[in-house]
Amino acid sequence: MDVPFELVRIVIAILALAAFVGVNAVILVWVERKAAGFIQRRPGPYEVGPQGLLQTVADAAKLVGKQLFTPAGADPVLFWLAPLLAFLPIFVLLLPMPFGPTATGMEVNLGLLLILAFAGLNVLSLCLAGWGSNNKWSLLGAARAVSQAVAYEIPLLLSVLAIAFMSGGMDLSAIVREQGGWPWQWNLVLQPVAFIIYFVAAIAETNRAPFDLPEAESELTAGFHTEYSGMGFGLFFLAEYAEMIVVCGVAAALFLGGWRGPFGTDGWWWFLAKLYALLLSMIWFRWTYPRIRFDQLLVLNWKWLMPLAMINLLVTAFIMKL
Amino acid sequence: MELAGKIIFWFYAVVIVAGGGLAVTSPNLVRAMLGLIATLFGVAGMYLLMNAPLLAFMQLLIYVGAVSVLIFFAIMLSRASATGDEGMEPGLWPNVRAFLAFALPMGVLGLTAFLAPPAGVLVPAEVDPAKLGQALLGEYTLPFELISIVLLAAMAGAVLIAFEKRGSK
Repeated sequence: MDVPFELVRIVIAILALAAFVGVNAVILVWVERKAAGFIQRRPGPYEVGPQGLLQTVADAAKLVGKQLFTPAGADPVLFWLAPLLAFLPIFVLLLPMPFGPTATGMEVNLGLLLILAFAGLNVLSLCLAGWGSNNKWSLLGAARAVSQAVAYEIPLLLSVLAIAFMSGGMDLSAIVREQGGWPWQWNLVLQPVAFIIYFVAAIAETNRAPFDLPEAESELTAGFHTEYSGMGFGLFFLAEYAEMIVVCGVAAALFLGGWRGPFGTDGWWWFLAKLYALLLSMIWFRWTYPRIRFDQLLVLNWKWLMPLAMINLLVTAFIMKL
Repeated sequence: MELAGKIIFWFYAVVIVAGGGLAVTSPNLVRAMLGLIATLFGVAGMYLLMNAPLLAFMQLLIYVGAVSVLIFFAIMLSRASATGDEGMEPGLWPNVRAFLAFALPMGVLGLTAFLAPPAGVLVPAEVDPAKLGQALLGEYTLPFELISIVLLAAMAGAVLIAFEKRGSK
């Protein structure tokens, strides 16, 4: 029996992505803490390893070694299903991601739709975590997560649709190929409004500050993951950083030309550079803006992002038909 | 590949039926919703098996990503507990009615499938979204518009219900 080539490719891709997600989380957490330290005029971690580089490794080892604890009165099935449901879709989300001209797990015609479809599972896992914990803070966090995610998904979809309209398809690799290497050949120039809407909505979808109401530590202790210990929390944490890669990767592919570079220097290095530039700006936002209030959250979405995205989409459709 | 296809088909079929069973029998509403989600996933898998990825991803995007989350929201707001009214054992009549509602369509569909089994059908070619859109706005305009009227009516109804509640307070 011969094994089909595609299957081998997918298995290798998933293994590589698992390694990438793990290593990346370790590095990103360190970068985040260093950036936070820099912004707040303190050194950040510096004891473990050179410049504190091994601090996250030590933290990860500590997390793995901790006892897994199910709170009294919690629904054990829902409680432990939630972190798995948060983490597992990550691999599906990263599979169609165009890291390079050939470095793509699986070229799917509808890659963009695949990512959007499986990204919805994240909200579901937050809901189950909040409900299953039998804790009022968790439940409040889940309620916030739902109202936030459902609302911000709409402008996100509309802004992504504008790019799909322009390219006439939802294949991420094809969208990257249609853009040029120079910054003025990127979709960003044609769709600046869509990019801003996408990035704001993406930060809200990943529950990052200033949209971190679901876990708001000063109000809800830790929101939906209050009751999780050890790797239960670790999986949520990994999932959050992996989701950051997903939304920034999609932004890099859709708006910033993905792996295209000037002077014919196409390759995964450009994709990673753009990806990390976006990730860094997300970290920068987190330590710059205070948490948004709930009414501001709703006003921003329903009164600003949604109509803007709608108008942007209509104008795009109109121009494409001319 | 045919064997693999059959195995996958039965896997999805088991997921759909087991999810449905959980959704109907679980006294805990959130677990019941989980069963419903498993069923929706199974149906999406069936679409993939039939080479209709657009439909499969839309199923996940709309039903798993949005509808089930809204159902969860409704469960959370109504504070339904497993020991509340929903957890009670229904009487004889509700059980009979529920069985009839299940048995009638299932009987008709099952009988037709057994009496007139379709000859082997090849896996259809994948339809790209552009063609699907043209068909919806060309050949199938009327059904498409009718569905949008249904949605509009549902939306108007929702607004009406919300306004009535506010007035009565």
